Amino acid sequence: MSVFTDLAFEASVVARSLADFLSGGGLRLGVTGLSKAGKTVFITALVDNLIAGARLPVLRASAEGRIARAYLEPQPDDAVPRFAYEAHLAALSGADRRWPQSTRRISQLRLTIEFERAASWGAKASHLTLDIVDYPGEWLLDLPLLDKSYAQWSRETIAASAAPARAPLAAPWRAFLAGLDLGATAQEETARTAAELFTTYLRKARDDVYALSTLPPGRFLMPGDLEGSPALTFAPLPLGEDEPIAPRSLAAMMERRYEAYKTYVARPFFRDHFARLDRQIVLVDALRALNSGPAALRDLENALTEVLQAFRAGRASRFASIFRPRIDRILFAATKADHLHHVSHDRLEAILRVLTAKAIARAEGVGADIDVIALSAVRATREAEMRHAGQTLEAIVGVPEAGERLGGQIFDGVAEAAVFPGELPEDPDAAFAGDRLALPEADNDWRFVRFRPPVTARGAPAPHIRLDRALQFLIGDKLA
Amino acid sequence: MSEHRPRPRAFRLDDERVAVDDAPTPLAPTATIRSQTAPIPEGGGEPIDEAERAVEAAQRSGVLARWRPKLSTLVWAGFGGLVSLGLGLWMSELIESLFARARSLGALGAVFAALFVTGILGLALREIVALVRQSRIADLHAALARARASDDRVVARALVARLAALYEGRAETARARAEVAEARGAIVDGRDLIDIAERALLRPLDAKAQAEIAAAARRVSLVTAISPRAVLDVIFVVAQIVRLVRRVAELYGGRPGLLGFVKLSRSIGTHIAITGGMAVGDSLLQQIVGHGIASRISARMGEGVLNGLLTARVGLSAMAVCRPAPFAIDKPPGVGEVAPFLFRSGKDR
Repeated sequence: MSVFTDLAFEASVVARSLADFLSGGGLRLGVTGLSKAGKTVFITALVDNLIAGARLPVLRASAEGRIARAYLEPQPDDAVPRFAYEAHLAALSGADRRWPQSTRRISQLRLTIEFERAASWGAKASHLTLDIVDYPGEWLLDLPLLDKSYAQWSRETIAASAAPARAPLAAPWRAFLAGLDLGATAQEETARTAAELFTTYLRKARDDVYALSTLPPGRFLMPGDLEGSPALTFAPLPLGEDEPIAPRSLAAMMERRYEAYKTYVARPFFRDHFARLDRQIVLVDALRALNSGPAALRDLENALTEVLQAFRAGRASRFASIFRPRIDRILFAATKADHLHHVSHDRLEAILRVLTAKAIARAEGVGADIDVIALSAVRATREAEMRHAGQTLEAIVGVPEAGERLGGQIFDGVAEAAVFPGELPEDPDAAFAGDRLALPEADNDWRFVRFRPPVTARGAPAPHIRLDRALQFLIGDKLA
Repeated sequence: MSEHRPRPRAFRLDDERVAVDDAPTPLAPTATIRSQTAPIPEGGGEPIDEAERAVEAAQRSGVLARWRPKLSTLVWAGFGGLVSLGLGLWMSELIESLFARARSLGALGAVFAALFVTGILGLALREIVALVRQSRIADLHAALARARASDDRVVARALVARLAALYEGRAETARARAEVAEARGAIVDGRDLIDIAERALLRPLDAKAQAEIAAAARRVSLVTAISPRAVLDVIFVVAQIVRLVRRVAELYGGRPGLLGFVKLSRSIGTHIAITGGMAVGDSLLQQIVGHGIASRISARMGEGVLNGLLTARVGLSAMAVCRPAPFAIDKPPGVGEVAPFLFRSGKDR
């Protein structure tokens, strides 16, 4: 059965790749990132900079003046909404300057870049079509489920919820599980209560205070249009190893729904949007996890490793690019690099390298190109030197979001402030040491405050940090 | 968590106890904030490639060569000293005898001698300046290659400033220098910054140098093909090559004096010797083919092509050695790119 589904899945992926190739599909750029990593802002800034013809000195084609223009086209997929580029841009640069709200549904965008090739032979004028998909980062958490059975997933989830960092959060749900008779006939009421308690646990763990990441299934956190459907009404149950599941029992119903979730939710999402990528940027908000503590950081590492396993990296070849596209360049980017002074960027990159070490090793093993950078698609701060109490500190200046607090100050979202967020450790492993979560400010060596988007000149793209470098790595060779 | 680490903290800029930039300062500020415009980071080295190592080896053998006492140096130093003394003696005797003949003649002789000495001193000074500049450019070249390989932002910023300063006197680089200055102020990684500088500052110069090389190669091949005497075209080729090397060096900023030219020639010779083997794959084959076709049409024309190729090769080596930065964003040009006309069959020419 599973071999058959796998084959059918592969066949559908190949069919779609072939159709893409024949209809002249563009370069598929996979913007990957868990929720709140900054996918929407990255895509908006990328499009904004290219359309506005901003000078991107490190993007070679732009620096050499070979990019004639870039414009948005209707995306190829009629069934998918268009990426609301204008709305996001308006949110960022409008009067009340706010970050786009978290993405609730999938959307797509096609950008065409007209440029002249640098080669001295052949036709000069050329164009590159870039297909980008935006989606709720939570859904990415479903990808690891594709290879897991219900029993396996149940065991892992319940074991994880017993870890000291998570146990208090999961207490109500675990208490409910303890009083449950697994063999009893399935009751919709019981299933719903279990699912609700489980969802509450997941939502709580995701809060900024805890900032945990490994929280599948993703639709429980961001249901999209599936809210309340049976495919979302299940929860892990404490099943023993190799214990048979009695027919018509609660466990049997849960297992069926779990499989349905995989078949109707997770698998199509993966097949339609991730199975055929050419380039990938993995956006990681390490600062949020760093704020919470080492347990959150390790949880993020775990989530990233599992998610990235689903992607197919490898050296690109003509044959593969027609039938089975492989990702030949992966850029790992620590986003929100503007929240700390640039002298700390090296350390942030080192932490990101540790976070994604397994994914990097795997991708390098199959011949994909890898780079790791600290990135800020929209730079909300400027840098400054702070002298205080005999110390000189490398600080940043920006407008912290209303309600953010640091060192006894509560910011109002209007006044500018100079912020020294603390020093990241020289040895990246030091940030992973320990088992604490939701550290109070006084116990942590750093505290990253969120900033509001910057004020920009009308019509001009917001400043950025290394967006051009990211673009050069991701699409520079296609613009050669 | 260690105690000596600075704690995270924040100050509102509108707080009246905080001094910000040039705004009026309170008497005893709790904190002082100074805005910065700063550069950027990150490691991971791109190794220095073979072509670049060849250039650096060539520079070390010529323009960067250290002076070491040798036996021949003793001989030449002694001989030179004697000749100078002899010259001085002859001059003073000449002036004395002029004075003996007539006062006015003696004064005239003294004035001429003073002019001569001043001129010599001036020439020597210019020579020294040229030498210093030449070795500075070669140093800059090696430093840029290293900084690019290590992606060192701090070093790259300083070096790029030196590179831009090299062309301060040239009005046509104003825009490029402004571009580089802007990139220095932004958050750009070391390697990227060097690439930006190379693209802005050196690309136009590369184009000019290549045009010079092409023109020289064309002249040489034409003159060789039509010159009536072998001796004449040998003289012409040598003169053209000397002129070309001087032009290329001048373009990149180091106008060589006499001694500088000698050193530069030595570097170019080394570079050709090292890269000659590397170029077997492409240009040598082309050279033989080109020569073959042309010589079948006429022996003189074949010689013309060969001399043109030689000139172009020397020009390219001069370019590699004189360039203040290694070729990073562009491949070093080959003979086929600067002088494609040498490879066309005789009919098109």
